[in-house]
Amino acid sequence: MPTLNPSTHGVHLRITKLHKSFGDQQVLQGIELEARPGEFIAIIGRSGCGKSTLLRMIAGLEAPTSGDIWINDLQVHHIHSEARIMFQDARLLPWSKVIDNVAIGLGKEDRYKAEAALEQVGLGARANEWPSVLSGGQKQRVSLARALASHPKLLLLDEPLGALDALTRIEMQQLIESLWQQQQFTTVLITHDVEEAVILADRVILIEEGRIAMDAAVPFSRPRQRGNAEVAAFIDNILKRVMGITEMESRVVSKDLPSPLKKGS
Amino acid sequence: MRKLLSTPIIEKCMPWVLPVLLILGWSILSNTNVISRKILPLPQDVLLSFRDLLLSGELIEHISISFQRAFTGFLIGGGIGFILGFINGLSSIAEKFLDTTIQMVRNVPHLAMIPLVVLWFGIGEESKIFLVAIGVLFPVYINTLHGIRSVDSGLIEMGKVYGLRPASLLWRVILPGALPSILVGLRYALGIMWLTLIVSETIATNSGIGFLAMNAREYMQTDIILLTIVLYALLGKLADSIAKFLEKRLLQWNPIYHK
Repeated sequence: MPTLNPSTHGVHLRITKLHKSFGDQQVLQGIELEARPGEFIAIIGRSGCGKSTLLRMIAGLEAPTSGDIWINDLQVHHIHSEARIMFQDARLLPWSKVIDNVAIGLGKEDRYKAEAALEQVGLGARANEWPSVLSGGQKQRVSLARALASHPKLLLLDEPLGALDALTRIEMQQLIESLWQQQQFTTVLITHDVEEAVILADRVILIEEGRIAMDAAVPFSRPRQRGNAEVAAFIDNILKRVMGITEMESRVVSKDLPSPLKKGS
Repeated sequence: MRKLLSTPIIEKCMPWVLPVLLILGWSILSNTNVISRKILPLPQDVLLSFRDLLLSGELIEHISISFQRAFTGFLIGGGIGFILGFINGLSSIAEKFLDTTIQMVRNVPHLAMIPLVVLWFGIGEESKIFLVAIGVLFPVYINTLHGIRSVDSGLIEMGKVYGLRPASLLWRVILPGALPSILVGLRYALGIMWLTLIVSETIATNSGIGFLAMNAREYMQTDIILLTIVLYALLGKLADSIAKFLEKRLLQWNPIYHK
């Protein structure tokens, strides 16, 4: 990217003692997390573990119950102008042409950025079509272009590939990786797919019971090969870790009440 | 058969087959005196009186007066309904404050107010415009409110994350999202607009299409009465076509309106 100075590409993300509860239910209990500028971290966990809530709080869409989130040296209180989210559903405006969807939030003079972003995801030729004629994968590519058009310094991915078929998914993963390598924004990926996390991220973080249960650096060079035995073993280990905890937990639950309920009594 | 029915010319003609058959049937029944001409005049007589009224300029005058009333009432009532629907759609405090009252007034049949309206405004323009406005207000209000409430909250959240200010959020996300429903209200309101106008013009007036009909009744001119009925039907169809055209234009993005 010619216009940007490499040192300003990604933000430094720091989360301290983050708690979030909805009513009596504690969703996140003391999350401590740090991402270096330009780092790609993936957060995994079973559904309902609070990973999406964490992402929404980083985006400023929800307020923490207690604790702080810092983007560079600014505390997050509301929506941050340099952070962009890519949602699981593409959330394109059906009444705006593809190019207008990508240009949302950009000034008129910045329209060329939208065109460039659309070109980068390989959909430059579809600029003047309605989103309804695109396939699911194409819609997600438009939504990626929209997220990248403003050159964000923090990209938040909320299971953006969850609804895509396997082949489109791999394509999208490659696209995200190459754009991240070019632009070096800090990235937080929420996913339930361990393989996706290991293929894409520098670090894989597991959230369980509202806490960080594992924080593992992925030791392989890019691009990572899915078929590679070491990669497969690494993935398998993490999977076992996720499942193993689940078994232990279920034993605990049958013997005893889970901790949030005990605290309330 | 299927193929034949889908050729362009036949497809264009199809909607008009039934009206033409109705007129043919009418023509046969009255020409053969099965129905007395005093009750149902000959179609050609209706056409003749159409020509006479057109040449004397009377017809254009009455139509334009009716049209003015309909249009003014529609603008006022539709405008108020739209604004109220918009405010209540965006603010639940406003809805709490206003909606109960609006619903109570809505359930009064507006035509039941004719005696009161005549007392208030006499038989001048105001009474008709008032009635049309009241009739049009509620369908526009309800559909605007419903449209705004049913805008996908995910899209609104997306707009906020992507830095849209409140004004552009309204213009780019909320209004287009509510538009399909608003247009349904508009179409419905156009129907009520004619209905109200017809009734109010036949009860108390000294000009307009309704007056033409009432005046003709005094002299037993059934041909003119029938002419006015046909006119209302055509004007109603015209209004509906305009609404349909607007829908097609404004909702191009929606696959339902792709041809």
